[in-house]
Amino acid sequence: MAVLAPEVRSAAPRWLIRHETLLVAILLVALVILGLFNERFLTVDNLLNQGRLMTEVGLLALPMTFIIITGGIDLSVGSIVGLCAIMLGYSWKNLGFPLPLAIAFAIGVGGVAGFVNGLLITRVRVPPLIMTIATLALYRGLAEGISQARSVRNYPEWFFYTGQGEWLGVPVQLWILLVGIIVAGIALDRTTFGRTLYAIGNNETAARFSGLPVDRVKLVVYTLSGLAAGLSAWVLVSRVTTTRSDMGSGYELDVIAAVVLGGTSIFGGVGTIWGTVVGLVMIQLLKNGLALTGVKGDATIIVIGAVLIASTLIASSLHGRREVAG
Amino acid sequence: MSTIVVSRLRPGEGGALRLFASQEALLAFAIVGIAILVGLYNPRFLATRNLGDIVLGNAYIAVAAIGMSMVIVSGNIDISVGSLIGVLATISGSLAVAGVPIILVWLTPLMVGILVMMLQGAVIAYLRIPAIVVTLGMLSILKGGLISVTGGRWITDLPQSFHLADIELFGILPMPVLIMVAATILAALWMRYSASGRAIFATGGNAEAARLCGVSPRRTVVMVFALHGLFAGIAALLFATQLKVIQSTVPPNLELTVITAAVVGGVSILGGVGTVVGSTLAAVLIAEIASALVFINVSPYWIHAVQGGLILVTVVADILRRQRRQVGE
Amino acid sequence: MKQLVKHRMMKTAALVILGAAMAGGSAVAADKWDGGDDLPTSPLACDAGPATAAAAKPYDGGQPTGAPDKAGKPITLVDVPKLIGIGYFNATSKGMQDAAKEIGNVKVTTDGPTEAKIDEQIKFIDNYITRGVDGILFAANDPVAITPVLKKALSKGIDVVGYDANSQPDARQWFINQAQFNGIAKAMVDAMAKEVGEDKGFAIVTSTFTTPNQARWIAEMSAYAAKCHPKLKWLETVEAQEDNVLSFNQATTLINKYGDKLSGLFGMTSVATPASAEAVTKAGLCGKLAVVGLATPNAMKPYVNAGCVKSVVLWNPVDLGYAATYVMRAVVDGKLKPGATSVDAGKLGKLNVINGSEILLGSPFIFTKDNIKDFDF
Repeated sequence: MAVLAPEVRSAAPRWLIRHETLLVAILLVALVILGLFNERFLTVDNLLNQGRLMTEVGLLALPMTFIIITGGIDLSVGSIVGLCAIMLGYSWKNLGFPLPLAIAFAIGVGGVAGFVNGLLITRVRVPPLIMTIATLALYRGLAEGISQARSVRNYPEWFFYTGQGEWLGVPVQLWILLVGIIVAGIALDRTTFGRTLYAIGNNETAARFSGLPVDRVKLVVYTLSGLAAGLSAWVLVSRVTTTRSDMGSGYELDVIAAVVLGGTSIFGGVGTIWGTVVGLVMIQLLKNGLALTGVKGDATIIVIGAVLIASTLIASSLHGRREVAG
Repeated sequence: MSTIVVSRLRPGEGGALRLFASQEALLAFAIVGIAILVGLYNPRFLATRNLGDIVLGNAYIAVAAIGMSMVIVSGNIDISVGSLIGVLATISGSLAVAGVPIILVWLTPLMVGILVMMLQGAVIAYLRIPAIVVTLGMLSILKGGLISVTGGRWITDLPQSFHLADIELFGILPMPVLIMVAATILAALWMRYSASGRAIFATGGNAEAARLCGVSPRRTVVMVFALHGLFAGIAALLFATQLKVIQSTVPPNLELTVITAAVVGGVSILGGVGTVVGSTLAAVLIAEIASALVFINVSPYWIHAVQGGLILVTVVADILRRQRRQVGE
Repeated sequence: MKQLVKHRMMKTAALVILGAAMAGGSAVAADKWDGGDDLPTSPLACDAGPATAAAAKPYDGGQPTGAPDKAGKPITLVDVPKLIGIGYFNATSKGMQDAAKEIGNVKVTTDGPTEAKIDEQIKFIDNYITRGVDGILFAANDPVAITPVLKKALSKGIDVVGYDANSQPDARQWFINQAQFNGIAKAMVDAMAKEVGEDKGFAIVTSTFTTPNQARWIAEMSAYAAKCHPKLKWLETVEAQEDNVLSFNQATTLINKYGDKLSGLFGMTSVATPASAEAVTKAGLCGKLAVVGLATPNAMKPYVNAGCVKSVVLWNPVDLGYAATYVMRAVVDGKLKPGATSVDAGKLGKLNVINGSEILLGSPFIFTKDNIKDFDF
């Protein structure tokens, strides 16, 4: 993976600001253009609704930002979402857990799944890419095997509040995401934990030698990723009212696209939560805006793929220029 | 990905040779072992026909895994290969139906495969975008593009001459198996004995050191991806010609199976080490397990769990083995 | 030493996981055929002709609130099938375009997810509700999960009509039923018994155990076989998604596994059936091993013409899309109201209302060597 990467990349506030400003500018321009094509695009109703649809991926994007900043990656998040959704339904329907306990159990399973990723990555030193490709298959396989791909339905009405309800006029899950963003943002910007993440991403060896708890912090971020996947599964099941073992498949593409688009360097050491949020909003609104202006689903996928590559290209060329200048 | 990795073995020397041998022996042992166990449960499993069908129906995965092995040995990854195979199969099928001379029908997917993969390799090597991002993006583009262009129309009425996979050489040797074996042997020899083949190991093992030895890591990466495209093209051809209908869609989870075969085959995910003989054996092993599940009445829903478990066990064993060796030294 | 112990532990742990996975899988016991659902079945009489009329049921569909009166005016419809890019839904989409052209003042666009995933499908419908359309045609990936978004559409005054795969009744106004489940089941099982004999073994290749239509058919087939062909022996159901090569490999494995004990294969999807036929052809068992299944004619022509497959069961998906569009127009024009017993569907004539709010396309059609050349989809 890292063959062609420059050895060390350091955080550069000025470059970051430039990348994010650029992103926000592009976002605004895209919004205006898409808004001109369809008057229903820029309505409060539509935007809130998009927020609702964005939450599941959004929750995953926060810990993914941490992970990518450390120079790692987690491709198994979509599968963990599927596994947690199945565990939620299975423990409630087949094991007879009360529903609140089933929800807690599912989130716990997510945490364990993430913890296992982290454990092998830190203790055995399995590269994150391969570790999480393996668990991408393994966790999805467990979801399919345990459920025998049977759906679980007929949840009680109150369960749907998280995924379909509103609080103060805003979709409930958007509040959850909002709290997540603020907590993650502060953790990354203002705490030792956040600084340790950058330190690991910039130079893991140096971080180790300066006595930072590298392994423990990595273990924490992968576990967080699993927990977020559990949370995301809960929101997703509540929104679509049914548990299925194919839930969340392919989410890793959306999550990584949002994080990378948000300026987090895939080589580690660089990135912010705020950038991720902008990337997330941009992808969701791009998809929605294109759909509203009559672009079909298959063409939208092409655009997302192209945006992912192009944004990384732009980011790296900006980065390159900075390197030359510095 | 991570900056600290356990030290890498130099390829081609005694220690590594033993390592390859053990991985391949292990796989061969597993293949035979499973065959015997399942055979005890249901002797029909051991029928020549069944064993033949297992290899025949999955030869294309083994071929694709050869290219994937090279990509992983060079220290990269490709998750667009499943989509590419879907696209190439559709292209060759469309040409066949349009009445294009059969040799062009067979060659075009190889050429397009090489071009697409070279393009990706160049972006990865020269523009310094990580392989995971480029191929993730390309996966989306190819998949969306295929549906946009074909609308998923099935290709039927394929001419009989198109069916490369149905050809049996001398009446007994089926083409897919022949191609799989030949490609594996050629690729293995080339990787071991040619300068450019060894450059792949050097690039994956330590790009900086490779550069100092006069190997251009960038050019090597582009070459590796071009070859990977070639193998993807051959795989697509086998894939497209084995049935009388081409679905014009991306085969689900194919990239995952191909990566599994490569990794389980002993290609070190740390780069720099690997064998394509192993990856071919691993492809056969995975296909055997899928078939065995039906024979021992286990729900096929467990296949992904088994695949994931296999990767995990192999990778962990590989890493621990090396760590131990390192301690021993 | 420490490393060695750790190595062993890892290996053991991994093996335990694998072992547990295997054990869990083999613990699945089966009374009825695997792949069927748990809903009540209603097998048809053994010798009766096509589906008989069920007892009349009051209208149980939903109604839009505040739908603008567009009777006789141009309308824009969107069609959101389970997924785009497969032959079957291309055919329904073509039927819709045909109907739209005939009617004149209808515009239909087909758009949907590229994989049969319910949460993607919901997003598509949601976007079209925002974008503003007069009517939504859908084929649901999940009958329950799609309900909230369809109810949202109704609440915004959008007419909703389903086809192919139903939602819960009150989430849409009408559903075009391509053929009754028990009718399909009877046609399939009768064809199999006729081809292989009454006391032979057969296996099923389906998409997944939880695809609602397939699960319903298998449950009905199981009930009908128990009632009318009790000696037919069901051996196994395997899943192959909607994947050509996987279907082929699974069918081949079944053939190798059961040998002479296997006399027939049911293909439950338009992908599984041609793939099963191909497996039989490659095994050199044409004429000895029967393939009966749901499939579209183009993919089956080689096998039917070669005499390898005698009968292919299917409704005409082009007609299905065509009927859905006519029904939608009738709903908008106020010609099809709750309580109606039939609806006029252009060249298809009058279609009957069954089960309260479903419109029956007709009996399943059986393609044979004589008529398959007349169809092109």
